[in-house]
Amino acid sequence: MTELILQSLYSGLLVGGAYALIALGLALVFGTMKIINLAHGELVLLAAYVAYTAESQFGLNPLASIPFALVIVCASAVLVYLLVSRIRVNRELNSLILTFGLGIILTNAVLIVWSANIRSTSSAWLQDAVVLGPLFSMRSEVVFFVLSLALAGGLWWWLSRSWYGRAVRAVSSNRDAAKLMGIDPVRTELVSFVVAGVLASVAGVAIYSSSVIQPALGHALTIKAFIITVLAGIGSMPGVLLGAVLLGVTESLTVTLASSALQELAGMVLFLLVLFVMPNGLFGGARRRG
Amino acid sequence: MKPIAPVAVLAAAYLLVPLLLGGNAYLMTLLVSALIIAGIALAWALLGNLGGMVSFGHAAFFGVGAYTSALLSMQAGLPVLLAIPLGGLGAALAAVAVLPALRLSGPYFALAILAYAHIFRILATELKSLTGGSAGILGIPGLPTLGGLELGSRNGQYLLVLTVVLAFIALYRAIWRSDYGLALRAMHDSEDATRVVGVNSTLLKAAMLFVSAFMTGTIGALNAHVINFLDPDYAFSGAWTIVPIAAAIFGGYRTLGGPLLGAIAVYLLDQLLFKALFPSGHQIILGVLLGAMILLSPNGLLPWISRRLQRRPATEVRHAAA
Repeated sequence: MTELILQSLYSGLLVGGAYALIALGLALVFGTMKIINLAHGELVLLAAYVAYTAESQFGLNPLASIPFALVIVCASAVLVYLLVSRIRVNRELNSLILTFGLGIILTNAVLIVWSANIRSTSSAWLQDAVVLGPLFSMRSEVVFFVLSLALAGGLWWWLSRSWYGRAVRAVSSNRDAAKLMGIDPVRTELVSFVVAGVLASVAGVAIYSSSVIQPALGHALTIKAFIITVLAGIGSMPGVLLGAVLLGVTESLTVTLASSALQELAGMVLFLLVLFVMPNGLFGGARRRG
Repeated sequence: MKPIAPVAVLAAAYLLVPLLLGGNAYLMTLLVSALIIAGIALAWALLGNLGGMVSFGHAAFFGVGAYTSALLSMQAGLPVLLAIPLGGLGAALAAVAVLPALRLSGPYFALAILAYAHIFRILATELKSLTGGSAGILGIPGLPTLGGLELGSRNGQYLLVLTVVLAFIALYRAIWRSDYGLALRAMHDSEDATRVVGVNSTLLKAAMLFVSAFMTGTIGALNAHVINFLDPDYAFSGAWTIVPIAAAIFGGYRTLGGPLLGAIAVYLLDQLLFKALFPSGHQIILGVLLGAMILLSPNGLLPWISRRLQRRPATEVRHAAA
């Protein structure tokens, strides 16, 4: 039993990497534009299907399909940004409905192009077992976990050291003051969308490589990313990483100890508990949300 | 608005439609479904317009209402016409679980309620002893005969659902015109300022959530007794959220008649045209419609048309500054 629990903690940790990338993208865009991109999970889904096409049509390893996913997903992210930025009145609610609509479009486009069948990678190299003491995983899980950590580290460096990263943080904390300091908020918002697209691309390929994909997944991923940002509290990057691992671990423990049908429920119960007990998130400040 | 117009529309809806189209079973079935969508769209618009809350989880209330009414009529043996409003109450009761989400503002509420819709669907699938699990419930009793009027017939279903939807419009109008409606509309401009003058804004928002959940649950219950079948994937389907939102946005969610007209237009287009164009992903056009309306005319088609034609707002339930 202990072994099983250890194993599911390990699996949860590994899946947390991809979750963190998705949630970081959602949080980044929320920071600069104060909107939640409900089509974010669908961008991840798009990357996953690009990897599927690259593998099934051209025999590319999913890792090698990341550049293609980057181009397509970032272009879609820019398109989402261009549409969302056109909203002038009642921005908060209208942008929600707009991105909800964009999510429906993307999900159904995926459904029309790739059909409702469940897909997964056929790469033997990625599916090989990696044994770490008593713990097992697929090679893809380890590879993408390391890649996710590297990306999160890169994002941290970018946000704290680079000019544009600082601009993103400046616009997040005070748009008008940032403007006075000579930062172009429009360009900064666009940059945040593109960076979110980069994170979504890698996360999508990661999910395709280590699990199964189907068109309804995008919606579920948006909800997961949102649950993680609630767990984390706003504006806390370590919080997002821990929240992602917490969600991953909760899900895999539920599958091990109860049933896989309850996997989604576990994350939501966790989310409700945090909402009840600590509405500012586990790692957020004392600020009121929203 | 002149009093003649609504009377004429009512007469047409109650007399002309059943007389002219009553023989066409397919068309009447479509109309009943469109009215079901209209009911949800209206409840959704009430929450958005008066409560200032966008919900992506109305499928939860719809499904809870449907299951409550079906189980009450089948296992507790309650008469169907009593079970239907109790289904609405069941959905309102389910809304209690959503209350903690009220302390979240804007986008957070919208996403929290989306999560709730999933929770209820999973619960309906897992509570097999109560709901029959994913196999669903067959043979839900149909609508009874009342005073010689066969409510279970196509025309009867149409008349009953139409009456319920119109009653909800009247309820919506009454709330909007009341002092509470005034406070709610003031909250739209500044919730903080409204709180300062002594309005318990959280309580009012909770009340709107209950009313909206009750309406949606009642509609869900009606639908269950119309189609006589339920399973979790159907009762909690995302379509019960997506189509009404598209309908309300299309018709104009800040107007009384917008959700109803939008629902009939959107649902009939979806079933008759979009489904023929894209058999598997026909909702893609609803997404396009939603996006286009938000970008081009966020207040919907009805205000846009009335502005063009009459050069004055029709039945706009809208605060001047909102």
